[in-house]
Order: sequence, then structure tokens, then C-alpha cells
Amino acid sequence: MDTQWPRYEVFEQEQPDQPHRNSGAVHAPDAELALQNARDVFVRRPEVSSLWVVPENQIYAWTAEALAADPSWQTETVVLARSASPYEVFQKQSQRQSETYVIHVGTVQARSPSEALREALAKFDAGSVLVWWVVLAGAIRRSTRGEAASLFEPARDKTYRQPNEYKVASQMRAANDAGKAEAGNEQPGPAGAPAPGPQEPAE
Amino acid sequence: MTEPALAAYLLALADDELILGHRDSEWTGHAPILEEDIAFANIAQDEIGHASLWYGLVRDLGGAEPDRLIFFRLPAEYRNAPLVELPKGDWAFSMLRQYLFDAAEARRLPLLAASTHRPLAEAAAKIRTEEIYHLRHTQAWIERLAQGTSESHRRVQAALDLLWPYAVQLFDPVTHEAELAAGGLLPEVGAVKGDWLQTVVPFLSAVTLRVPEASLPAGVSRAQHTQHLTDLLADMQVVARSEGPDVHW
Repeated sequence: MDTQWPRYEVFEQEQPDQPHRNSGAVHAPDAELALQNARDVFVRRPEVSSLWVVPENQIYAWTAEALAADPSWQTETVVLARSASPYEVFQKQSQRQSETYVIHVGTVQARSPSEALREALAKFDAGSVLVWWVVLAGAIRRSTRGEAASLFEPARDKTYRQPNEYKVASQMRAANDAGKAEAGNEQPGPAGAPAPGPQEPAE
Repeated sequence: MTEPALAAYLLALADDELILGHRDSEWTGHAPILEEDIAFANIAQDEIGHASLWYGLVRDLGGAEPDRLIFFRLPAEYRNAPLVELPKGDWAFSMLRQYLFDAAEARRLPLLAASTHRPLAEAAAKIRTEEIYHLRHTQAWIERLAQGTSESHRRVQAALDLLWPYAVQLFDPVTHEAELAAGGLLPEVGAVKGDWLQTVVPFLSAVTLRVPEASLPAGVSRAQHTQHLTDLLADMQVVARSEGPDVHW
């Protein structure tokens, strides 16, 4: 049995004028804790102005290849809702390593997920899109303005260091060299490592 | 009199945050799920960060350097409430302790932010939003543990029965607190406790937990600790003590 909590995809917005983009996923028992976990896992340090979390089973996804190979998305397969609802539309546009984000591009009104996809294909530039996601807007738990202070402000005036600033590798090397020099002074002998070689007793 | 008395009050706050942060950090690598491991390690680090602010104020009021205070005092010289030194227990115990403490901080900090001692007011204002987040996180957990399964309810109720008399001690006044309050340096004695009770009692009752009668005295105080603090400090101070106070890191 799978004992994991459900998975939520996390979208973060760094500045209010930028789109939300997918930063990864968290597990949580419900949307409220998913939002909190997302805050702790993804945005404790860098600057963020808004967070969205979405249960993964609420995301309808199509790759460009799938759309080309199987035209079933063009015809409706589910009973349409009586009236249209807003769906949020996301695109992934690049496979380059630092740009493989799924980014929010806008909202469409539709009566089903595949109608939302058709609306999105008509409304947004589909030229370089590799992946489409559509999500019923109501399925998204969004951080509110009121929550923003306690969720995001503490990170702003915290000082922190990037991992590479600790210079672990060069410090280890310096410590190793110092250790070797010391060993060399105590046991004068041929330069270089006292190689554990063929003389080592076999097990 | 004012400066040593205020320093004594802040030392108690600092010790609470440090010892609780240390206890919380014992969950790092052991929390029930990865996301919560990260979240609780964040909280532990925040508490130690708050301690560092308070210790800095203590030094500025004529006290010793923070590192001296942390690594070279004996258990009997620590002024934390025994609540924070109790072993981490199970998850419900640690979450509930953190909730009770966060609720106290969330009430105390806005009042301290109005202190006439300006560095204190500024420090309190700075860490306030962080405590609001802590409270939100622990409150979410207590709701779910109390109303989850019968086992999670049993565990969090058992934790509450044990922790309540210790939690009430968080508000025991320090020497001269009334004079400091009269001078506008600290909130009125009893104000934080009153606000705290009005927050936690309705919340705990609403999530179906039974708040115990506060008649049981905990038997220890900020000046008389349990053996658990001795063990904790032995662990926390061992490296600093073996190297001596003059070593720089």
C-alpha cells in the first residue's frame, strides 16, 4: 500500500509582475499543509511574493507529441459542465537545463479540461510549447495577501550563504596538504604518499 | 537596578528559545516525513536565531558574551522554563510543546514591540512575523493530530496533560518584573499570560482536547531544573568546553 501523502505541485512567483512557475512538488495531507510545506521546502530563503499548490491529480497534461499523435483531444469525451469555469493554463517551452519550468501563461473559460486545452491552443502562442497543463482555477490553493507577510517576509532580511561559499573543497585540500606536511616532518622519507600497496596484508 | 533586571528577563527569554531550538533540532533527520523534517528544522533554527538576538541584548545591557553564556554556564545558572528542557517525546509531544510556546511568543512579541527600551522593541518587531508563521504551522498540526485517529488524539491529549503545568510556568514573573513593567520597559505582569490563556484554551477545546486543571505544580522552576537540562547541556557544551573559551571557530 502506498502510505505517502498526496503530492502537490508547487508554483512560485518571485515578483508580482512575473508569472507563477512550477518549482517542484511536496507531499501533504491537505492543501493547507501543502502550502506550508511548499513555503518551507522552496521559499525559505529567496524572495517570493506568491505561492500556489495544486493536487497532482487535478492537473491535466498533454505533451506536444501526444497532441500530434492522438487527435482525441479535439473531440469531447466527458459530459460538459453546464456552464464554463476558469482554468489556469501552463506551458513548458524549453528543455534547456536551467529553463525547464512549467510557467503560468493565463486563464481560459471552459466546460471541461479538454475544452480548456482547445481554448488555450487558440488563445496562446503554441509555437514552441513542449507541454501543456490545465488546472481548474478553483483547485488551486493560493497564498493570500494577508498570509504573505508571515509566509514570505522572514526570508527577506535573513542572511545566508550559497553552499559554494563555504569553500569546502579548497579547505579540505589545505587541511590535507597541512596533514601531509606534518607527516612528512615526523617521518622523513621519500616524498609522496606512503602508498598502501602490495605489502598490505590481504584479508 | 533597571539594566540588570531587564537583562535577567531577557536572559530567561533567550534560554527558552535556545533550549527549545536545541530540542527541536533533535528531530532533524527523524521527523515523520521529509517535508516536515525541513519545516521543523527551519523552526528550530529560527528559535536559535531568536535566542541569539536576545543574548545580544543581554550583552549590551552589561551581561557576558553570548558564547560564554551558552557554552560555559552550569545547568543551575540557566533560566529557561523547564517546559523546554523536557525530552522531545513523540511527535505529538514536540508539536504541542512548540504550539504552546509559539502561542506565548505570538502574544508576547507585539507587547514587547511597544517597549520603551528601543533595542528590545526593534528586535521584537523583527521576529514577530516569524512567530506568526510558527504558530500557524503548529496549530495546523494540533488540529490534525487532535481530530485525526483515536491514536493521534490519545497521544496529543497525553502530551497536553503532561505539558500544561510546565507551560503555565512560562509566565512566572522574574525579579523586579513589576517595576520594569511600571517603567514601560515590559508588558504589564500577567498581560501575556492572560492573552495566552484566551488564545490556547478556546483553540484546544475546539479541537476536542481537554485542558487540565492547572492545579498540579510542576515541582521545578526557572531556577531549579530537571536532570534533562544537565544531559542536554553536557551534549551541547562538550566541544566548547573541551577546547576552552578562547578558541575561535
